[in-house]
Amino acid sequence: MFSKKHLFLSASAVLLLAACGNGDDETGDTGEETTEETSGDMNELTVWTWDPNFNVKALEMAEERYQEENPDFSLNIIENAQEDVVQKLNTSLSSGVDTGLPQIVFIEDYRAPSFLNSYDEAFYPLGDYYNTDEFADYKVAAGSVDDNVYNIPFDTGVTGLYVRTDYLEDAGYSLEDLEDITWDEYIEIGKDVYDQTGIKWLTNDHGDLGIMRVMLQSSGVWWTEEDGTTPYIADNMALKEAFEDYKEMNDSGIMNVHNEWDQFIQTFNNGDVVTVPTGNWISASIMQAEDQSGKWGIAPIPRQNIEGSVNASNLGGSSIYVLQGEGQEAAAEFLAATFGSDVDFYQDLVTEINALGAYEPATEGEAYEQESEFYGGQQIFQDLAEWTQEIPEVDFGQRTYEIQDILAVALQEYLNGADLDEVLQNAQEQAESNM
Amino acid sequence: MSDKKKKVKKKKMGKLQRNRVWMSWTFVLIPTLFIITFYFYPMIQAFWISLHTGTGVNLDFTGLDNYRRLFNDQAFITAVKNTFIFFIFQIPLMIILALFFSVLLNQKTLHFKGVFRTLVFLPAITSLVAYSLIFRYLFSNDGVVNQILMFFNFIDDPIFWLGDPFWAKVLIIIAITWRWTGYNMIFYLSALQNIDPGIYEAARIDGASAVQQFFKITIPMLRPVILFTSITSTIGTLQLFDEPMNLTGGGPGNATTTISQYIYNLSFEYTPNFGYASAVSYSIVVFVLILSAIQFRVGRERK
Repeated sequence: MFSKKHLFLSASAVLLLAACGNGDDETGDTGEETTEETSGDMNELTVWTWDPNFNVKALEMAEERYQEENPDFSLNIIENAQEDVVQKLNTSLSSGVDTGLPQIVFIEDYRAPSFLNSYDEAFYPLGDYYNTDEFADYKVAAGSVDDNVYNIPFDTGVTGLYVRTDYLEDAGYSLEDLEDITWDEYIEIGKDVYDQTGIKWLTNDHGDLGIMRVMLQSSGVWWTEEDGTTPYIADNMALKEAFEDYKEMNDSGIMNVHNEWDQFIQTFNNGDVVTVPTGNWISASIMQAEDQSGKWGIAPIPRQNIEGSVNASNLGGSSIYVLQGEGQEAAAEFLAATFGSDVDFYQDLVTEINALGAYEPATEGEAYEQESEFYGGQQIFQDLAEWTQEIPEVDFGQRTYEIQDILAVALQEYLNGADLDEVLQNAQEQAESNM
Repeated sequence: MSDKKKKVKKKKMGKLQRNRVWMSWTFVLIPTLFIITFYFYPMIQAFWISLHTGTGVNLDFTGLDNYRRLFNDQAFITAVKNTFIFFIFQIPLMIILALFFSVLLNQKTLHFKGVFRTLVFLPAITSLVAYSLIFRYLFSNDGVVNQILMFFNFIDDPIFWLGDPFWAKVLIIIAITWRWTGYNMIFYLSALQNIDPGIYEAARIDGASAVQQFFKITIPMLRPVILFTSITSTIGTLQLFDEPMNLTGGGPGNATTTISQYIYNLSFEYTPNFGYASAVSYSIVVFVLILSAIQFRVGRERK
């Protein structure tokens, strides 16, 4: 008797365990049904993001401001490395279970189209919550699918050419000589400065094609066509020029090669390079070297020798998304009231964490006019904000990182002496076969 | 009376036996169910997904298309090549080193055996990420390794351990060998301790040299263990992920990308295509089966 009971118990325990999977689904469903009733009074929202000094800090500032009007409101900010956020989001969304997901999530602009297309029902449209016209077009475009806007833009990755003005002067140049130039001119000046001072002109990691993305976006193209999936490599003049320029920088010896992020930061903090062409988020790292105060300046990023190419581009940057489900309205309202429309909030972001948003009305504010002592009295925020509005709009598509890996191999072969057309043709074919 | 007693006794025994049968089936049933739920179900499900393609949750049934795609996918072919390069150079190197260390550390005359054994085994219990980070520093362009090599004039210019396709592969091989040699050595050590010392004694009396003893006695006696370690190492190397991910990021280019890392990239780095990623993971299953079969053959034939 005892054993029979035992068997029954264990069997039912197993059944119960098996039923757990279904149980989750069911609660998920009921959660959705009751969404409309409960979302209004949902007071704690969960956010997934990365970077404690930047994204988290910005969120905490937004939370504080929003609490003045909504004292019951609070955020539960869960901070992970960006990779982990991406992975968690992918596994949760692909499992089809909608419990355990946050209400708000940060996604890098390059990755956004991939998420929006892979999980089309998962994101909550935000276009009606804020005035999208007041934001830089390219930022809104990164989070839009078929005219539906799913993001509220956050930081711009507007690029600048960060320059050591003291080295430049030693070689007889000034910051103005680097304004409104092409990459070819940039390389020529670089060779001259390197000859005279012996200091490398720039540093890069051969595996990081960020500088190519900067070049391409300044010309308004990407390595996929406008549909976001068809590779645009072999006939892409902008990409071809980017490859040629890169090889020129490498072969002429003006480029220092680093292998990882820490080395990158070390290189300019130690004063081993003259220029750092990259996104404005690098500013905080550059300013770590306090002894270099007053020795830096920022010029607009060089453009390509291509019609329509401008001296403004973008590298990185993320936007904020709301996931469908309980609390979606509350999350959207919170974001719209802060990141979506609060001019003063953007002044605080600039002053406190040097975060540049893509919100045009905010750039009129006081904070943007401040002169930076570190950058020799330059009004860097105003300059960067101005360039932000000029950044060409590009459809990042769903294959940015996939094709970048293919191109990294192509670049390696090209640097080792292979023919450029052949290398790009191979990359094109490979990217096509993976469609 | 005695008859009745017997009957009762028999009945009782029967009941107890029945209970035992139930009990034992229960014990078998529970793990079986768990294995089915957590091993076989995912395996079958993964195979089913591998017949689909699409982004994220928008999967369409496409039959064997994913498997056909494998043969034209340069990134996959490179990943397979890299994995096999690691496997071909690293496993023999590691097994020879492990044998060497185990014989050395099994010497009766050696002092502080415990200390040395611990030293060799220690890497196996070190955190993967921690050691990868330290390796990155050691092998960076101006890192300790390059400085030592330059100090002794072995090289004139620093080696780009992380930036050169060839040296990055060498670095990965060094890293895995460093980590797993001690682990395999433990197996050999325990096998060595099971060899009857009388055999060696007899060999010595017959005038066999140390080298002869090693090749004619030690190696044959250890054959089953060598077979076992080479199979587990093969499987481990085919699934290699942590070292390339943390040390080189698969780069430069895709010079150190392994199959497992490619699966990760397909699922999490790029726009997720779980169907194709599953097809790639099934390719590992095929490789493991083939290689293990070959190793079994080779290991058995000589017997």
